[in-house]
Amino acid sequence: MAKKMLHSLTLNGEEVEVASAPEATLLETLREDLRVLSSKRGCNQGVCGACTVIIDGKPVRSCLTLTARCEGHDVRTVEGLSDDRILNALQKHMVEAGGVQCGFCTGGMLMSARNLLAEVPRPSRDAVKSALSGNICRCTGYRTIVDAVCGAAEELAQ
Amino acid sequence: MTELLFPTTVEEAVALLAAHEDARPIAGGATLVAMRNAGLVESTHLVSLDRIAGLAGIVRLEDGRIRIGAMTKHAETASCEMLSGSLEVLRKAAGMIANRVVRNMGTMGGSVANADPAADYLPALACCDAVLTIAGPGGTREVSILDYVEDWYETALGEGEIITAFTLPAPYAAASSYRKIARVSGDFATASCAMALEADGQGVRVAIGACGPGPIRDPEAEAALCGHLGDPEAVATFAKALADQADPVDDVRGSAEYRLQLIPRLISGVLNDISKETV
Repeated sequence: MAKKMLHSLTLNGEEVEVASAPEATLLETLREDLRVLSSKRGCNQGVCGACTVIIDGKPVRSCLTLTARCEGHDVRTVEGLSDDRILNALQKHMVEAGGVQCGFCTGGMLMSARNLLAEVPRPSRDAVKSALSGNICRCTGYRTIVDAVCGAAEELAQ
Repeated sequence: MTELLFPTTVEEAVALLAAHEDARPIAGGATLVAMRNAGLVESTHLVSLDRIAGLAGIVRLEDGRIRIGAMTKHAETASCEMLSGSLEVLRKAAGMIANRVVRNMGTMGGSVANADPAADYLPALACCDAVLTIAGPGGTREVSILDYVEDWYETALGEGEIITAFTLPAPYAAASSYRKIARVSGDFATASCAMALEADGQGVRVAIGACGPGPIRDPEAEAALCGHLGDPEAVATFAKALADQADPVDDVRGSAEYRLQLIPRLISGVLNDISKETV
């Protein structure tokens, strides 16, 4: 096992100190050292989107982010947004629309969709598709996911 | 094991790169960390450029030129209103890189230093006549984007050098555009084309991407096309001149033959974008 070092980061609003490899990715630190499991390891290449988290309000790939570079930045995962109005609406609509099948992509989808609705409250269907274009789903065929995001946007706008 | 180093000035970064033999600079990490995850790259030291003040951001210089810091993220470039008119081509290219999430990570300096021939910035910068500022052990120097790519993934960047900024000529009111053919939205280009109308409206600067080691530009052919933008025969001759200089490869995104066929189509397409905006 490679040598570990202490990293400090702000995870879901709390200061955390974690022992992780010096060059560990945030995804490795989250899953292996902190056991925060909503971010999934899909491709580990930044392509599939399953590991997407929010740093300083913007969605990024945790598999391409080095933990050592997170010091002083605000890292949010699905776990840290359980009281978030936008996320809660998205979760409800994902379930209702059938946007969740195996669930592997769902955490990353929610992160990308949440950021979109935070920036653009009433996105067009095409804007939703574009915002989710970096999140791959192998089950649903996407239509139900886009339905869910549009449904959540409508509900939030009321 | 890899150690991460966090310099706070360009001078310190350059000194750290010189001090450790296989040290590598890391910008946004979108490519380097993916390569590390795939086991393709190992370094004893990574010199992180993210805590160097002044390396990120876009400013207008006193003389009207635009300077883009090497650590500027694609997302910022893609939404920068200063990149208008003749420089809009660069904004459009930035907005076609990967997807929203990756655009929050990748940087112009990182992308250009990596010099993937199929990446979007190289042709866009070539069409804008960008100048790179490069810092290294020998001090700071400037290199034209047209002299930057020397061969496949080989650039003018020497040992221990990093790109610090891109300087673009002052924008003027004229149409410019960027198109790429890709297998899916956000993929690297199979072939791409960047174009900007000259200030007099008679000529264009054109660069083709993903059809050779670096972007393809031909100032002589551009001069011959000047004043004949509406003449299909002149445009076909121009497209042939660029295709003749292409050196495309067969890869997963398309065959070399297919790429050659895309060049004239892309040129017509981008010319069409420009004439629509100009009318």
